[in-house]
Amino acid sequence: MILSIELVVGVSLLYIVLLFGVAYYADRKREEGKSIIANPYVYALSIAVYHTSWTFYGSVGKAATTGLDFLLVYLGPTLMAFTWWFLLRKIVRISKENNITSIADFISSRYGKSQWLGAVITIIAIFGVMPYIALQLKAVSSTFDIICGYPYIQLPLLHKNYPFSLHTNFFAALILSIFSMIFGARRQNSSERRHEGLVAAVAVESVVKLASFLAVGTFITYGIFGGFGDIFSRIDAQGDLLNHLTTLGDPGETTYARWLTTLYLSMGAIMLLPRQFHIMVIENSDENHIKKAMWLLPAYMFLINLFVVPIALGGILHTGGALGADFFVLSLPLQSGHSWLALLAFLGGFSASAGMVMVESVAISTMFVTYLLMPIVVRLTPRPWFPAMLINLKRLCIALVITLGFLYQTVVGETFMLVNMGLISFAAAAQFGPALVGGLYWRRANKVGALTGIILGFILWLYTLLLPSFIMSGRFSRAILDEGPFGIALLKPTELFGLAGFDLWSHSLFWSMLFNVGGYVALSILLPQGDKEREQVRKFVDVFTSDRNGVPWETKRMSKPVTIMQFVNLMSKFIGEKQANTAIAEYMGNREITAQGGVSEFELPKLKRFTEKTLAGSVGAAAAGAIVESYLSDLGSRMEPVYDIFSTVQASLAESREALYVRLKASELINRTLDLQIIMDDLLALILKEFKLDLAVIRLIDEKGVLRVRSYRGKGIAAIIGKDWDPESETYIGEAFTANRIQFVNDTQYITKPLSRDLMAREGIKSFAHIPIARKGEHPLGILSVFSKNIVGLFNEPFLDLLESLAGQLAQAVKIVTEMEAREREREEKERILLENARVLKEMEIAKQIQLSLLPSSPPVIQKIEIAGRCKPATHVGGDYYDFFLHGANNIDMVIADVSGHSVGAALIMAETRSVLRAQARSDKTAGAILATLNELLHDDLSAAELFITMFYVRYDTDRCVLAYANAGHNPPLIFREGQRACVELDAEGLILGVKRDVQFEEKIISLRQGDVVLLYTDGITEAQNPSGEFFGTGRLCDILTQSHSRPAEAIIETILAEVESFSATSVINDDISMVVFKVFPSRQLMSQNQSAAKPFGVQ
Amino acid sequence: MKLRVALFKRLRLRESWVIFFILGFVMMNYPFIQIFNKPYRVFSIPLLYLYFVGGWALSIAVIYLFTKAINQPEDEQDEGDHR
Repeated sequence: MILSIELVVGVSLLYIVLLFGVAYYADRKREEGKSIIANPYVYALSIAVYHTSWTFYGSVGKAATTGLDFLLVYLGPTLMAFTWWFLLRKIVRISKENNITSIADFISSRYGKSQWLGAVITIIAIFGVMPYIALQLKAVSSTFDIICGYPYIQLPLLHKNYPFSLHTNFFAALILSIFSMIFGARRQNSSERRHEGLVAAVAVESVVKLASFLAVGTFITYGIFGGFGDIFSRIDAQGDLLNHLTTLGDPGETTYARWLTTLYLSMGAIMLLPRQFHIMVIENSDENHIKKAMWLLPAYMFLINLFVVPIALGGILHTGGALGADFFVLSLPLQSGHSWLALLAFLGGFSASAGMVMVESVAISTMFVTYLLMPIVVRLTPRPWFPAMLINLKRLCIALVITLGFLYQTVVGETFMLVNMGLISFAAAAQFGPALVGGLYWRRANKVGALTGIILGFILWLYTLLLPSFIMSGRFSRAILDEGPFGIALLKPTELFGLAGFDLWSHSLFWSMLFNVGGYVALSILLPQGDKEREQVRKFVDVFTSDRNGVPWETKRMSKPVTIMQFVNLMSKFIGEKQANTAIAEYMGNREITAQGGVSEFELPKLKRFTEKTLAGSVGAAAAGAIVESYLSDLGSRMEPVYDIFSTVQASLAESREALYVRLKASELINRTLDLQIIMDDLLALILKEFKLDLAVIRLIDEKGVLRVRSYRGKGIAAIIGKDWDPESETYIGEAFTANRIQFVNDTQYITKPLSRDLMAREGIKSFAHIPIARKGEHPLGILSVFSKNIVGLFNEPFLDLLESLAGQLAQAVKIVTEMEAREREREEKERILLENARVLKEMEIAKQIQLSLLPSSPPVIQKIEIAGRCKPATHVGGDYYDFFLHGANNIDMVIADVSGHSVGAALIMAETRSVLRAQARSDKTAGAILATLNELLHDDLSAAELFITMFYVRYDTDRCVLAYANAGHNPPLIFREGQRACVELDAEGLILGVKRDVQFEEKIISLRQGDVVLLYTDGITEAQNPSGEFFGTGRLCDILTQSHSRPAEAIIETILAEVESFSATSVINDDISMVVFKVFPSRQLMSQNQSAAKPFGVQ
Repeated sequence: MKLRVALFKRLRLRESWVIFFILGFVMMNYPFIQIFNKPYRVFSIPLLYLYFVGGWALSIAVIYLFTKAINQPEDEQDEGDHR
């Protein structure tokens, strides 16, 4: 029974439309951000792309002819699944972090992003996989022929080519090409590595594969036969066949060696075939999906193989032999009249072929573009149409790969080749194994080793496997096979170097692996790694510890700074402007951007790596590296190693030994002394000795706010060390100080401040740094500057960290020392003031004594009257003065004066006044005349000193009891008259001394009676204040005088003083106090002659 | 329960994975398969075939257990799964 072509084509097309729909839906969902393939089941199903039509049909064929070895193709992957959680997860992690696009990209990236290595792997992949694609196309056309019932159905199907099948082949190739091109290279301007639509379609196909195979298996086992037992016992009845098929080791059949070889090859194939790598690694959306896939995939393979043996044996039973066993899956349902089941099986086989061809062509074309075309593209100047060109190149490559497969199948199309092509492909892919796995775990593995190993392995594979396969299928003469090339038996492709007795596979695997691994290991050990390689080793081997790995800082720097915009421009040329802007925005996030719109020097290499990684997603790692590199060199910049200031290896996160040593040394010398100069000198000497610097300078800020050079070591450069900087000025030092941030220039060639540039160029300084001397979070106290004349790129992060910490320690020392000095100064100042005070005090004491001695030591003793005088200066010296002069036996002059103020100046004027007065008092002038003369004599001095004198002059004639007096602006004295109950004031007209040169002083006369008391006083008494601000006043004074008039003169003074003191509630008086009291002894003859001169005053 | 925790703890170790991997490799190769490479029948199914199919099913079960062990919450985990 057969099906009509229309029906088969129609159903197939419907199925393809369904796949298109699924793929389209998945891509749409993806764009909406709701991925339908991001789950472990889809992931596991997509990995089942491993199950191609080679095994879909071929497993049964194998089971029917050679026995159990068909199982190995699946047992190998199952065994491999044990390693996935470590091996596959590691590969996936690395690929995600580096935007890896294919297995060639992966291996090439590991070995320093080698363009060559990638190209070699691509070529091997094309060689190894092209026939495999051919096989798939062939399977589609053959099964199509079978199901449509072409007359050749009874013939061994794969043995010849037929004109019709060309058409089916062609259409199969065309449809698969279109499908792959649409979903394998979908977006015009995307750096997206993943193809969700493709994966979704592949997953659906895997379900169809499984379902159809199970359906056919169930039908044959339980429909045609009576179950497993039935089939086994029936075949048993046919003799030794079953034993033959289910045991190993018979001569000429599956040997143990071949068993091992097949197992090994399939273990490698599940990881290393380009399509497997693509679907497992590149299309993986979450590494946690691996967990489920680890058992789901083996379970899938277990299920799909469950019925292989029953189908094979059933087929043998049904058809009477193993002829055409490859298509039992299809032919048994057909022959038993279940054409729909056969159609289902056909769709399953078609799915197996289609999935493989699509994924393989996408994977290969990616490698093709990145490693065979990009090397050319990289040499071109980037243009805006590059993104479009790249995607179209990829489409072209997909078509090309499938076309090559189609041509191969048409041209070669031979039996042996095709049925064994799967395993031959496995053997080719196995050549990637050592370089890939070694690259993941072996640090020393290098590019030359990997390249050599892979090339040697490939050559051996060509020679010992591909060539014999061609020969065996009758393409070439068997002479080489039988006698060796040029008759050299040792070089026979199947018995190389005389190694006979092995099957073709084991022999080839042995030799290719021996040379592959041998070359890889030997050269990796013999030759060193390049710089770039070492960097990549860390990213691969230490991927799970990458956040905490090795050196946390950059070991490379960019010789000339490049701006963010320049990077964005570059990216947009390859991945489109929108994508570039999105990418950079995501990357920058909350990173610090400098005022100039750039990033810090230490951030630049990271930005460069990010650009490379982003580009790698669409052009591959090697090309991305080359593109960025050439772009940088166009801009005049390049990556150069940071000068390794610490020569010891920084093996861990900890600091290098040097840095620790310097830190320790520094704190030692800072704590050794308190002499700041010694500390600074020693510290600079230490820095200079340990690091390759030419000059180190310490500037500290002084009281005037200028950064003054305090210490320097090294080759003195006058222009630098001779300069004290104003921190506000537009210099690096100024900026370091005001912003309290390290300023450094790693290459003075690219300096931006003109002032500094000229200076550095003149002095030949290559790099320098200014480090603020500051404790954490405090204002800087100065600047530590270091200069190098030889080394560009001296200042890397760890070095600057170290310098900063040294500056911090120095700041601590400076702070301590300056605080100590300040305290010392303060103490000295206090001491000095105290001493000074004591000295002044002492002198003032002397002055006081002298001044007091200028006052009458005791009142003159004279008949009929009693006199007492007292002066109490407010400070040591004062301006009060009183004196007595005797004229003969009967006359006495009394004077009281107050020089304004009570300073030393007042005291001196008082002394002068006294001298002048003493001279004048000797004359017989009247009181008024004396004051006038005095005024005239003192006027100049008083004006110059800006002082005045008030004075009251009294002359008393004891005989006549007449008191003559004149006043120069002084407080009028009080007079208490015996018998009266109140005091009167004595007053006379007269101006204060020192105001005007010519002054007339009124002179008045009053006659006193016995018992009268006259009180001359200065304003210190009446103007004494109590705490509430009230003046003592004349009233109180008058009362005291009234009450105490009968007491002796001295006692009256004491009383007044005590009253004043108690009134002001303090012993400290504000003004000088002076008094003169004189009492007339009682005598009745004395009468007042001029009472009118005294006006009544005070309380009655 | 205690046994399960102890088992899972061991299964998280990388060593366990390597041991099972090597064990699988050994059990699938000469000379181990020599033991089963005999023309016997078990319930009329060839011994070697049964061995492989059974062993296959068993290893899938073991991997399943392994993945369950990885999924255990971190607090039960004191030796780390990826050392």
